[in-house]
Amino acid sequence: MKKILIVDDEKDIVETLSFMLKAKGFDCICAYDGETGLNLAKNENPDLVILDVMMPKINGYKICRLLKFDNKYKNIPIIMVTARSQDVDKEIGEETGADEYITKPFEFSLVLEKINKYLT
Amino acid sequence: MNRIFLLLDDKNKNKLIKETIINNQFEILDYAESFDNLVISINNYNPDIILIENSLINCEFLIRQIKSGILNQNIQIILLLSNSDNPLCINLVDGIIEGPIRENILLTTINSHSKIKKSLDRLSENNKELSRSLYQLNVLYNTSSRFAGTLNTKQLYDIMIEAMEKTLSFDISSLLLLNPQGNLVFNLNTLYIPSENLIDALKIRSVLNYRTILESPSIISEVKTDNISVIQKTKQQRASKVYGLEAISFDSLFAPIKVGESFFGVVELFRQTPFSPEDVTCFQAITHQVALPLRSAKLYEEISITNKKLEKLEKLKSEFVSIVSHELRTPLTPINNSLEIVLSEQAGPISPDAKNFISMAKRNIQRLSGIIEDLLDLSRIQAGKMDFQYSPIDIAPSLELLQKTFLQVANEKDIKITLDIKENLPQVYADTRRIEQIFSNLVSNSLKFTQNQGSIVVSASVVDETQIEADKLVFPIIQPKGRYIKISVSDNGIGIKKEDIPKIFDKFSQIESSLNRNKGGVGLGLTITKQLIDAHLGAIWVESVEKQGSVFNVIIPTLDKEKNFIMDLSHTLTNNEEVGVIKIKFKKQYNLIENLKQNKLLNITDSKKEFTMEDKDYINYYVFIPKISLDSFNAMILTINGYLSRIKQNEYDIILSNAHSTKNGVDVFKIIKILNS
Repeated sequence: MKKILIVDDEKDIVETLSFMLKAKGFDCICAYDGETGLNLAKNENPDLVILDVMMPKINGYKICRLLKFDNKYKNIPIIMVTARSQDVDKEIGEETGADEYITKPFEFSLVLEKINKYLT
Repeated sequence: MNRIFLLLDDKNKNKLIKETIINNQFEILDYAESFDNLVISINNYNPDIILIENSLINCEFLIRQIKSGILNQNIQIILLLSNSDNPLCINLVDGIIEGPIRENILLTTINSHSKIKKSLDRLSENNKELSRSLYQLNVLYNTSSRFAGTLNTKQLYDIMIEAMEKTLSFDISSLLLLNPQGNLVFNLNTLYIPSENLIDALKIRSVLNYRTILESPSIISEVKTDNISVIQKTKQQRASKVYGLEAISFDSLFAPIKVGESFFGVVELFRQTPFSPEDVTCFQAITHQVALPLRSAKLYEEISITNKKLEKLEKLKSEFVSIVSHELRTPLTPINNSLEIVLSEQAGPISPDAKNFISMAKRNIQRLSGIIEDLLDLSRIQAGKMDFQYSPIDIAPSLELLQKTFLQVANEKDIKITLDIKENLPQVYADTRRIEQIFSNLVSNSLKFTQNQGSIVVSASVVDETQIEADKLVFPIIQPKGRYIKISVSDNGIGIKKEDIPKIFDKFSQIESSLNRNKGGVGLGLTITKQLIDAHLGAIWVESVEKQGSVFNVIIPTLDKEKNFIMDLSHTLTNNEEVGVIKIKFKKQYNLIENLKQNKLLNITDSKKEFTMEDKDYINYYVFIPKISLDSFNAMILTINGYLSRIKQNEYDIILSNAHSTKNGVDVFKIIKILNS
């Protein structure tokens, strides 16, 4: 079973997303702040990370960079999720090495599509 | 009485002269015992006529001294020639009397020269007045041009006082003004140091004057004179002379500074010597002159403040829209997800009715997302932050996709959407996503305003400028020239009144106008559509008949080789406005050429002939590529200030423009169009 880490301070988003992903046969672990997210990413060995940008403690970009610039974790696919759809955010996302970038509100089918791209 | 100064050789011998003069009511003064200080004695006496005897020792020297210019030039010198010699000084004097003195000749000569002296004096006086008036006029003229040169209130007052000082040479000027903070300020300019008592007295006097002019005692009575701030300047600080209270009784001029309803303050001048009528005119002219620019300055200040407020408000509004939109997106996600979970029965089976209502909720969430997206788009466009990814594209697939997208909605209303796209349409230089947005907005509008069983036709064909009626275009930013693809979306819906057509492109027009209000949407669609079309250098126009239907026509320029292109490199450009220079950042210079090649905008056969700006990580300049001669090209590096004239002088096939700069690509294009027209 593929393990997906969801990091987002919006609990409702995490809950609904993990529910749907579980229904599709994924194992989900969740974090509600950046620090916990980073620890789980390093210790729980997830197959993919869904990462929100605006979060307390450590923001999504920073986590993304920390993971992508570490040889140990750089192969974990990261999907950035944000409500900010400014082009510059997209650019930063790409600069920090995120594999995918989606904006809120997103359709679950789109998330699934992106996940399947990396986990099949 | 005429005053005569005598310089005679022998007093006794010339007794006759004296007697004659005195008997005829002339006043005389004998020469001093010595010739020392002669000029000073003459000056003190200020005679009209000097009688000088030729036989006097040093006669010529004395005449030369008198005529040397130290004394009043109008003084008449009459030479008494006792013998028939003809001295050199004869040319210097005003008159001569020859031979022995005869009473009648002496009197006639003295009388006529006294008349000449008087006339000359009057003439001098007139001349002096004339030159003074001329000087005043000159100062007034200079002052008026200086007044026109500034909108700074303080400077205007300074110029006024300076002009008064020059033209009226006052001892004291007192100026009482109401500053923008609503406080009275008392400005005192004096030649010598004023006493404390005098300052207080002048202050009170000004306040009283002010009150008289304002005719509103209540305001002033609330202002205590010691609350008025005093700005005092003295010209001759070191002089021992001090103005005491007596200065109040100097001759004075007073005037309010006002124009129309605008009242700025009062000014009063004091001068020890009396003011002439010309001085009064001059004073009034200056106070009148200063009032007009003061009013302009006041208005300017008010406008600046309002402008700043508006700018801030506009920025706040943009930020507000942006923040609100972002904040709205976040809760929409779990709502959407939850509905999805329930609808897909992952959380357990639901009844068909429940399914129907959940679907309804989900549809409306999507609509809400659409509205937020529109709001964001609009704020982005207005802030010049819209991201366009231009490339040469075929337009047909986008239109075909449209038909599929709207199939379901159209079927629900039993509306038929048909496509009529001509074969082999030329490519356009456009952003596919935005092109789809433009036509999806238009089709969705048609769907909204077309009754059931209606029909919508989307057609596309090539036209040139002769087939475009320029006067029908809605607020166009271009003058149609060359070939365009014309895409029309026609429906047989409710139509639009002719006078409403320009209005529908306004923001939120649906809310304001009498158009059908219950059709959903906030009326941003067409505003965005218009802006997106503008960004593609296209245009839009509408033909509509009420109750019969509407046709929305859009033209997008075709990708012809002869045409100017604006290529948007926004994703690789950054902008440094601080130094007024556009910073273009290419990660590697070759990317640009590759990009141009890939987009078939360049046909470079020899890749070794490279851009002149190679091997640099970034380039701090605006870049233009002039007429390409296929095997090589030169880059023009131009700062923001110089590029417009260069465009005029040279023709370019391609202009690389920073979309985020103060003058974005579209603006540059507009300017080029104007310069070339």
